[in-house]
This record gives sequence, C-alpha cells and structure tokens, in this order.
Amino acid sequence: MGKYKTYLAGYAFLLPWLIGFFALTLGPIIASLYLSFTKYDLLTTPEWIGAKNYVSMFTDDYRLKDSIWVTMKYVFLSVPVRLSFALAIAMLLNQGLRLLNLYRTIYYIPSLLGGSVAISVLWKQVFDKEGVFNQGLSVIGIEGPAWISSPSYAIYSLIGLSVWQFGSVMIIFLAGLKQIPTELYEAATVDGAGKVRQFAKITMPLLTPVLFFNLTITLIQSFQTFTKAFIISGGSGGPINSTLLYSLYLYIKGFTFLDMGYASAMAWVLLFIIAIITGLLFLSSRYWVFYSDGGK
Amino acid sequence: MLRKKPLFAALATCALLLSACGNANDSKSGSGAASPGASAKASEKPGNVELRMAWWGSQERHDKTLAAIELFEKENPNIKITAEYSGMDGYFDKLNTQIAAGNAPDLIQMGGNIMEYVGRNALLDLQPYVGNAILLEDFDQSLINEATADGKLYGVTLGVSQTALLFNATMFNKAGVPVPNGESWTFDDFKNSALQISEKLGKGFYGSYDLSSDNASFTTYLAAHGKELYRSGELKFDKQDVVNWFSMWDELRQAGAIVPAEVQVANPPDAVDKSLIVKGQVAIQGASASQIFGYQALTEDQLGLLPNPAGPAGNGMSPPVSGQFITSYEGTKYPEEVAKFMDFMVNDPEAAAILGSTRGVPPSAKIRDALSAESTPIDKILYDYISLATKISTGNGYEHFPYDNEFIKLLKLTSEKIAFGAASIDSASEEFMTEMQKMLARANQ
Repeated sequence: MGKYKTYLAGYAFLLPWLIGFFALTLGPIIASLYLSFTKYDLLTTPEWIGAKNYVSMFTDDYRLKDSIWVTMKYVFLSVPVRLSFALAIAMLLNQGLRLLNLYRTIYYIPSLLGGSVAISVLWKQVFDKEGVFNQGLSVIGIEGPAWISSPSYAIYSLIGLSVWQFGSVMIIFLAGLKQIPTELYEAATVDGAGKVRQFAKITMPLLTPVLFFNLTITLIQSFQTFTKAFIISGGSGGPINSTLLYSLYLYIKGFTFLDMGYASAMAWVLLFIIAIITGLLFLSSRYWVFYSDGGK
Repeated sequence: MLRKKPLFAALATCALLLSACGNANDSKSGSGAASPGASAKASEKPGNVELRMAWWGSQERHDKTLAAIELFEKENPNIKITAEYSGMDGYFDKLNTQIAAGNAPDLIQMGGNIMEYVGRNALLDLQPYVGNAILLEDFDQSLINEATADGKLYGVTLGVSQTALLFNATMFNKAGVPVPNGESWTFDDFKNSALQISEKLGKGFYGSYDLSSDNASFTTYLAAHGKELYRSGELKFDKQDVVNWFSMWDELRQAGAIVPAEVQVANPPDAVDKSLIVKGQVAIQGASASQIFGYQALTEDQLGLLPNPAGPAGNGMSPPVSGQFITSYEGTKYPEEVAKFMDFMVNDPEAAAILGSTRGVPPSAKIRDALSAESTPIDKILYDYISLATKISTGNGYEHFPYDNEFIKLLKLTSEKIAFGAASIDSASEEFMTEMQKMLARANQ
C-alpha cells in the first residue's frame, strides 16, 4: 500500500515530462514510421505504397548518393578535428592559468551561438570570395578561393564552422582533466617520464570515458546537422550538391518537393545509420575505454 | 503521515501547474476586457475580425502592401489584418506546412502554381462572392479563367506580368552598345550584346548572368525553337535541344561574357539585394516583369525590360498572364471579410494608387486608366513591355511540368555541373534527360 503510493508519487512528478514525451515525441515518431510507407504530399491524405520509398532510395536517387557522401565526409572529418581541437584547448586551460574562468567563458561563446542562424550568416560573409578571411590572406600575398561558392571548398567551410563550435566538448574535457589525480603526474615526473609520455600513459587512458562520451554525442549531432548547411547554401545544398547534408536533403524532399512519405523514410534510414555506428562504437569501447573503477 | 508526504507534494505540484494553466487562460481571454478601450470597441462593433495575410516580394512591395492594409483597417475598424510577408525563398515551404497543420493565413498570395493548390482543396471557392463582394466587370475574361476550375473562381488576379529579361540600360550606354530592339532581336543579337558589353567594360563586368540555369529562359528557348518542355503527359524536346542550350551558354562562358559560376553562386540574380545588375556589374538577367520595381528601388542605374530573344519559331514567349493572385485558405472563418479585402485590393482607387503596379499591371481597366494618368517612368516601362509581349508572343502558354520544383532544381544542378567543369555538356545533358524521364514516369503512373 505504502509502496504503491510512493510509485504513484513518482509518476505524478514525472507526469509533465511523460505527457510531453508521449504527445510531442513518441506520437510523431510513430506517425513518421507509418508515413514512411505512404505517398504523402502534406495536403492530401497519405496513400499506402508499401516499401516503395525505401526501395527507390537505394535504387534510383542520384541526389541521395551525393547527400550520403557529403554527410560522411562532413562527419568523419569534422568530428575528429573538433574533438582534438577541444582537447588541446582544454589542456591549455588546465594549466592553472589566471583568469581561467574568463577564458573558459570566452571559448564557450561560439558553442552558445553555434546553432544559430546569425552565426551561419556571419560565416557566409567571412568566407565569401571578398570576405574578411580572404582579405586577411591577401595581406600575406595569398589569393584565397571562394570558400562558400565553390563546390570543392564549400563543405570545408561547414567543417570549419563545426570545429569552431568546440566549446561544450571542451568544457566536458576540462572537467575530465580536473578529475585526474595530480599525484599520478608527480609520481611519473619522479620516475622520469616526460610530458609526452605522461600524456600518452596517464592523461589519455584516464580520459577515455570522457572521450567516449564526447565522441558519441558529437557523432550523433554531426549526422543531424541542418541549420549551417541550410543557411550557408541558401537552402539549396549547392553548389552541385556539395553541401547537401542528409538532413537538408530530407527537408528539401519533404517541404520543397512535397514528398513527405519519402522524407519520413529517409529519417528512419538516418536513425538506422546512426544506430549502427553508435552500436559499433559501444562494442569497440570495451577495447579502448578504460574505467578506473573497473567499469562497475 | 510521513509516507503520505510525497503523494501530497506531487498532488500539490499538479494543482499548482493546473492553476497556472488556468490563470494563463483566464488572462488571455480577459485581456480584451481588461483594457477598457478594447472592450468598448468590442461592444460597439460586435464581431471583431482578425485576418492573416501572407505574401512574398521585395521591400518595395512590402511597404506598399502594408500601407494598403493600413488604409483598409482605417476604413473597416472592426477588421484587423496581420501581415506575414517574406522573400520568395521558403515562402511555399512555410505555406505548405501551415496548410497541412490547418492554420494557413486567411489571405494567401499565389503565383502560377495556383491550380496545384486548387487540386489539393486548399483554397476557398470565391464564386459565391463574385458580383456582390468581389466585382470583376472590368477584368479581362482570360484573367478570370486562369483562376477558374470547374466553374468556380479560386483567386483574384492582382496584376498582369510576364517573364522578361531585366537589363541595365546605363551599362549598355557606358559600353556604347545600342539597346536591342525587343520586337525583333534574336539569340545572335543577344550573344553579340553580351560579348560586346563584357569586352568594352573589362574585367569584373559581364554582359549577362548565366541563364542556363533559369527555367523560364530555358522553356522559352525551347518554344522559340519549335519545341516545348511538356505537354499532355509528354516531354516535347530531346537531348539535342538540351545540348544546344548548354553549348550556347558555354560559348559565352568561355568568352568571359557571362557571370562565372562561383560569382553567380555567391550573388544569385533572384536575390534582389545581391543581384549584380543592381550593382552595375551585369547587364542582363531573367526576372518577372513586375519585379523591376524591387530592383530599380536599389539602384541609380536605369533598368529596362526586354522580351526573350527570338529563335527560328519566333520568340516563344507565352502571352502575359496573371503574375499573382490573392486567394483564400479554404478553412478561413471569415470568408466575407476576406472577399471584401480582395475587392479592395483590385477595385479601390485609393488602394490602387498605393499599390501601383508592384504585382504587375492592374487587372481592372478602370484602375489602369486612372493610374496611367499619374504613372512613373518605371510604370511606363512595365506597361510598354506588357503590350509589346502581348503583341509578339508566339508560345502556346506554358503547361506546368508535374514536378516543377524538381525540374527547376535539376536544371540548376545540370547547369552548375557544366559551369564548374564537373561534367561535360554531353554527359550532363544525358543525365538531365534520364532524370526528366524518371520524373515523367513517376507522374504518369
């Protein structure tokens, strides 16, 4: 009886969240699964067509091929660079600097602004052919290319923007670094281990749980990137599909071509891809992630 | 006692939340009553009406439309119109979502795609209001027909327009190149003008935008060569036409007469504030004729309008059509007020004076006569162009390709592949045909 009441209380507290989850998240997710098997143009009733959307995704969609290639390039370049960059800055800030809080705040700002439309617009201006970045280059005698409007460079400007938003990852790294007991470094110094060796043998192993966390989160976020590509390419994913990230193509399919059934199918395929990659990451983690408490 | 505490706390929280919600509702419904002015108004004029209106355009059009709305609100104090305006980019994306969610604006500006929305039952049948709230006596019948399906009217034309080539006359003068005679110019004349201008003005100046990606220019080119994009379920052109089209532009590209791909991506012609025609760096671009107002507002240079150049089968242009319609969402709660505002936009002399020709030549003959008395030089350019286009158009009228948006994107992609040197003209054209055939198969199944 008493136990029952405690449960009830727990659920009563959870209720606002549960309502939100079932009505605003789970409902639409299930609806999209159904829609992915239909032909649905947003305005008329969906018409059941079986697995046709999935079949045509893999058999005859030249844009999707471009889009997956661009997305893979984006994810597998931006994630490692962003993580390394964040780690490097975190280590710099972990030197017991004065005004540490100030620096931490400053470096965190790009992440706060990161997802916003304004930053993407700014980025577009900075890396324009006549933008600030190229003007800087011209001072040292280099004529920079059109970073945004050339199909060979456009994706790198997106990757650059993603790397620049390293703040939240850095904060988590910094917290991880602070957890490492200083005695270990002192002992290592006494034993004659240099800085590089200390990094490889102490810092990295003890940081692997944090690295694993950051890697997983960043990877999932990167697969879902939309705003940057949408704003910087003016919604087109161009030039020549060079910035047609998966989520952007999904949006174009759904809202420009009015093929909401197909777009829903794409969303499920993306979920599947992310699940596989995250699953592999978890499987591999037992070989490289080191928990100092033995993972208990 | 202690055991009961968590449950009690939870219930208290729920109660708090509920009461908070309740309060919010109260304050919302009570806000009208709370301010004495509003409540007095409400009791004087029962049935205060709030309408929403969506349109796309440039700043110049926004300003004029907002001024017209203000006038309407002054004359009809019980009607308030909330404006939802934007550029063309994303306009229909947003509208589609709103229609699907059942909260589309009461008044919606539509373009040539109006029938798509009629087919999806998204628009209100205006027929019951014709002759009483909406007066169309001064309209050309063809303009009414364009918005009529199964004997029902779904939209009121706001202006007559036509695709055109927008040109910078000041640049022609600077280069010492005569402005072509629109009535008789050909594709060869077009090429020569573009080549001469870029040659005379030098680096950074171009005779024309790269219009190989412009769907209106492409379809007109096909018609000028006796072909068509699409009619009654079939493509009416073949690969050679596509190859010819892209080769013509490639020749100009190699000669430096048109805007290079990178520059065009960064400064797309359809973005009024980015267009290089406004900056006096490019002499010709494609546009809808009525857009000249938006472009002219941003430059000191003199702009003008030319029809598409002629090919062996004439210039291939369709006769001028309704540029835009004002339509109503099928789910509107206030169809009568909506009809009243529609009529106001096209028949009220004061509104007409404010709106001018920002959406094309006004459809009502009476209004047209009134306006021409006080027309600006730009108005005159537009009027002259529309009469010229009416006179010389040889096309049969454009039949929309079933997947128009996808066709437009595909043409742009093909054009970019060639312009950036990522594919040869032949292979890109081959791919274009394959994808068009696939879309056609999808449409016909």
